Amino acid sequence: MQSKVLTTCEFCGCGCNFYLGVEDNSLTAVYPATSHPVSQGRLCVKGWMGHDYVNSYERLKTPLIKERGKFREASWDEAYKLIADKIQQTKSQYGSDSIAVFSSAKCTNEENYLLQKFARAVIGTNNVDHCARLCHASTVLGLSQTFGSGAMTNAIGEIGKAEVIFIIGSNTSEQHPLVASQIVAAVKKGAKLVVADPREIQLAKVATLYISQKPGTDVALINGMLNVIIAEDLLDKEFISQRTEGYDELKELVAGFTPEKTSEITGIPADKIIEAARIYAKGQASTIIYSMGITQHTTGVDNVISCANLAMLTGNVGKESTGVNPLRGQNNVQGACDMGALPNVYSGYQAVTNEELRQKFEKAWGVKLPAEVGVTVTDAINKIESKDIRTIYIMGENPIISDPDSNHTEQALKSLDFLAVQDIFLTETAKLADVVLPGVSFAEKNGTFTSTERKVQRVRKAIEPVGLSRPDWKIITELAAFLGYKMEYDSPSDIMDEIAKFTPSYGGISYDRLEEGGLCWPCPSADHPGTPYLHKEQFARPGGKGKFFAVPYRAPAELPDDEYPLTLTTGRIAFHWHTGTMTRKSWTLDREYPNGYVEINNNDAAKLGIRNKAMVKVTSRRGEITLQAKAVNTIQEGLLFIPFHFAEAAANKLTANNLDPVAKIPEYKVCAVKLEGV
Amino acid sequence: MIENIYVPHLMTITKIRDEAENVKTFTLEFKDSQIGKNFDYKPGQFGEVTLFNIGEAPISITSSPANKGYLELSVANVGKVTSALHQKNEGDVIGFRGPYGNGFPFEEVSGKNILFVAGGIGLAPLRSLINQMFAERNKFGKISILYGCRIPNLLCFQNELDNWAKLENSEVLLTVDACPENDWKGNIGVVGSLLPNIDIDLENTVAFVCGPPVMIHFVILDLLKMGFSGDNIITTMERRMECGLGKCGHCNIGEKYVCKDGPVFSYQQLKELGENI
Amino acid sequence: MSATRIIDKKKLADFLETLSSDCEVIIPTVEDGNLLFSELGSSKLEDSFKGRPIVSPKEYLFPQKEKILAFDTTDKVNVDIKAYTNDKKRVIWGIRPCDLHGIKTLDAIYLSDFVDTYYQARRKNTIMMGLNCNEPCETCFCNSCQTGPFASEAYDVVFTDLGDKYLVKVGSDAGQEAVDKIPNLFAEATNDDEKKAGELEEKSKQSFQRKVDVDVAKQNLPESWDDALWAEESEMCILCGGCNFTCPTCHCFNIEDVQCGEKASIRMRYWDSCQLGGFTQMAAENTRENQAARLRQRIFHKYIYTPDKYDGAIGCTGCGRCIEVCPVNIDITHILGRVASK
Repeated sequence: MQSKVLTTCEFCGCGCNFYLGVEDNSLTAVYPATSHPVSQGRLCVKGWMGHDYVNSYERLKTPLIKERGKFREASWDEAYKLIADKIQQTKSQYGSDSIAVFSSAKCTNEENYLLQKFARAVIGTNNVDHCARLCHASTVLGLSQTFGSGAMTNAIGEIGKAEVIFIIGSNTSEQHPLVASQIVAAVKKGAKLVVADPREIQLAKVATLYISQKPGTDVALINGMLNVIIAEDLLDKEFISQRTEGYDELKELVAGFTPEKTSEITGIPADKIIEAARIYAKGQASTIIYSMGITQHTTGVDNVISCANLAMLTGNVGKESTGVNPLRGQNNVQGACDMGALPNVYSGYQAVTNEELRQKFEKAWGVKLPAEVGVTVTDAINKIESKDIRTIYIMGENPIISDPDSNHTEQALKSLDFLAVQDIFLTETAKLADVVLPGVSFAEKNGTFTSTERKVQRVRKAIEPVGLSRPDWKIITELAAFLGYKMEYDSPSDIMDEIAKFTPSYGGISYDRLEEGGLCWPCPSADHPGTPYLHKEQFARPGGKGKFFAVPYRAPAELPDDEYPLTLTTGRIAFHWHTGTMTRKSWTLDREYPNGYVEINNNDAAKLGIRNKAMVKVTSRRGEITLQAKAVNTIQEGLLFIPFHFAEAAANKLTANNLDPVAKIPEYKVCAVKLEGV
Repeated sequence: MIENIYVPHLMTITKIRDEAENVKTFTLEFKDSQIGKNFDYKPGQFGEVTLFNIGEAPISITSSPANKGYLELSVANVGKVTSALHQKNEGDVIGFRGPYGNGFPFEEVSGKNILFVAGGIGLAPLRSLINQMFAERNKFGKISILYGCRIPNLLCFQNELDNWAKLENSEVLLTVDACPENDWKGNIGVVGSLLPNIDIDLENTVAFVCGPPVMIHFVILDLLKMGFSGDNIITTMERRMECGLGKCGHCNIGEKYVCKDGPVFSYQQLKELGENI
Repeated sequence: MSATRIIDKKKLADFLETLSSDCEVIIPTVEDGNLLFSELGSSKLEDSFKGRPIVSPKEYLFPQKEKILAFDTTDKVNVDIKAYTNDKKRVIWGIRPCDLHGIKTLDAIYLSDFVDTYYQARRKNTIMMGLNCNEPCETCFCNSCQTGPFASEAYDVVFTDLGDKYLVKVGSDAGQEAVDKIPNLFAEATNDDEKKAGELEEKSKQSFQRKVDVDVAKQNLPESWDDALWAEESEMCILCGGCNFTCPTCHCFNIEDVQCGEKASIRMRYWDSCQLGGFTQMAAENTRENQAARLRQRIFHKYIYTPDKYDGAIGCTGCGRCIEVCPVNIDITHILGRVASK
């Protein structure tokens, strides 16, 4: 007999809902939820066909302990005891801050909440972070500074009703297919679409205007648009005067970004810059959609601020179907941030440096808490070499493949005193661990994910954990017990009650309410309906005003030169997820893209004598990989694109660990490489 | 109990021969000799070969039905299943179901001169037909075999090519695209370049063409230019297949399933189907 | 067959529960606003509902994922091969006429030439009880495909919702046997009942929002082979496969051997989509390299190849699911409209 369990998709931030068909503790079918406002009975290929990994034979089924370089099976208690001893030892010898904890945007809110609590209350460090550092750290900072809240300002469903959509640095159809669905619907209804991307993405085919900026010149492009808007008096003066501050400084700075000057920097013809500015500014409901193309730069925060500047200058924020909408990558990256799996904040972005807030959590958790901001994922890796970080606990992340400069990451992790990894597969990172704990997939546990539109939705257990694996939230509580700290929860619902109690923006959220459907935060009280769009009356900043920041243009950190004459940009494709741990074990997805490839412009390929589908070697200052060339006419000349899913042709062997100075996000979108035939 | 059309029979690998670079020929016998006794097939048919715990792939039969009691498969190592097969040893067991497909016309072309044009591993299915024709030699006129490969190391069935050349009223012409080692004394050029070297009675000749899709494409153009009619050009189609039974849909072209209605088609039929070779 | 009957709406549950004593009974049910097929007992019978579940009932005959064989090579020479069987008896109630027709199409494909072992086992153990559509959905166009809104064939029993009761027509011996299990639940239909059903059918036929001139479209399709419309209509496809997965007549599958033990694997077959590039990918080349060719294949397969191969009936039932499920609004009625107007 088959049962059907309604749940939230485990891949991207769209937050689609579907039913999983279950027979004999296996997932055997998928049924899209027709009543769900984002899914509407639709799914992308991952939603339909991406769940085979759950029942894969390769799943970790028992804890593993490494002895003399080899793993052996171990009991849970043995594994817990070893980890607890090592943590205790590191703590007493080198202090709590020599330990770092990586949380996971794949795991539930409850698990992220518990893991940051574990880091702070049990280990005593704020060294907790997760892969948001690698995707939207710049958003969290950039939008907090300008608007006061680092999240999508609007709900996904509102995009379908926008008048103008400006997509910059998001290949939406591949990364957020069900958001692209809204965009296509809006365009069919007559909305104008402007796409700015170095690659002519699929949505460019239906765009009113497609512009192709050089990678890393987004600040200049937007400053140029601001210049036109001011010059042609297309700005919203009332909005600027009543709801914002800092306009004069902005005006002064962007005066230098004439269309001609901007054209020189970005490579976009001046008249197209003017046209883009006009289309955006003249829309009554203009919405900006961006993603990693904006955030993954050494100027990531500046890029985000520029988007906010554009929205505020034209009054396109604080209303339905307008705003600034960063599309969050992971199913629960929004939630992992919300839950405080970040080195500077507790859940709900409550600063660890704020004494009052810290005392609140000290009282709640019954321990003294550290007051200094912790280290980020990217800094933690760098601090291993200097022995400032000696032990790392990783839940559900695979930094060797996902972090920049893989060779460096691998060397660093190898030189740790102790590494524990909690995952569902023996990933490239787990292989380096001293202890591996088998966690479970989204189908084997209860919890919640928060989608990119800030919507908290239920994840429901469909099957029993495979082998001896245990739900990740359970693992954290049990490990805490071995370290002498009691975390007692009967179920994830209890954890959510604690979250709600100490997190104002989640204050009104409970499992009972979520049975009726998802809730968008802020949802401060049990009778609050949730908030589909932000900043309606005032911004979330102290004082309630939005703030313009004048940001000068800075070039990317590593530009092409004679030795490495091409620019490399990296990203995802629709068929795979991140490091491929899950999707490459899902039959249809693996069949579609079994191997990595590098996209190259036809003309460049011809110049280099490279045939389509030929094997090529791509080299940067940090490493080299060999993979198949895919010659296309949809990428700029001089630019290469490599999806980063494939460990055997890992794009991140090439990328550089050049970080945004504030957000510490690596510049995945620009590095210098060369390409040759093999 | 109805017969389950998806269950493979067990076959033992009794002999493995290195055929050419990256190509091996496997001799197989049914473990259940009763099945072996009843097993019959036509040249041009294929089987779905299972490498247990790896997967299944369609592979054409290269032995001739004239030889009873065993099957031969010549396989290039190109994918997951074929590479697993290449790692097998004599005595190992694999799965086989078939024969599938329509096979080459035989009686229909009796009385005709036969022209074979093969490229690379494409000689494998034709070899089955060639040997059957030589077994019933008096039914056919002149038999010409034109065979080409990229480089000499890829030439399959070299002993047999020599033998066929020696038989009465037959000729064998070989060519390679290139010869890096420089030890090749024969023709250099694509297989189509051999065509002008032979006398062909257009009215009375049927051409069988088999090889990589690009090669088939150009040879057919050559034959048409020479004046062959579409009905007298017989070729095989390669398509992705899963079931071999006309159910899984991968090899669908028009109202045909290549696995069941093909893989052998005349050029005339192909033209009507619409899709490319 | 016997005369037309009626059953009181309240007694339908009794009827289905009686049937469920020796088989699984599947019914459409609404959960959290989603219409799904579900097992009677774990879910409640709806008093009335509009439309059809987004995934068609074909999955009870041809599941999304199905174990077909198990291999164990512990003994290298005497490899153990086990074939899975499924002879569970099942009644599916509430199948819309489009989906009844879909199963008829699948029968033609799976039960001809080589008879598909797994489909046949499920099919012969399944009793199909239809439910006519009084109210088509926005995406429905079964009327144009002549498969609905009221069923004229391919059912064991078919029900028509007359408000407080159903009109019941029997279409096969198996259907008759089912109805005869509790004859006292049924009464003879009156002329008024039949007349009312006729009026409902007429009203339903008048309320379609979509219409396709199937004959003209079919006639024009071959000429459209090289038309730009295929590239235009497919340019936003995001390759989700949903149109195939929800289609009641799509029958394509892939086969994968999945490891389940150190020396054991299970051969699975699972739904595949001709809209995906990998569907036709071979070692070196792909015979349908672009999306235009793949979209054309989907439409030609339904409207040309299937009728050519199997008795002239098109392979599209007009259920409208491929329209509803498409994230980028690729619309088969729009495409056929373009073809028909050439």
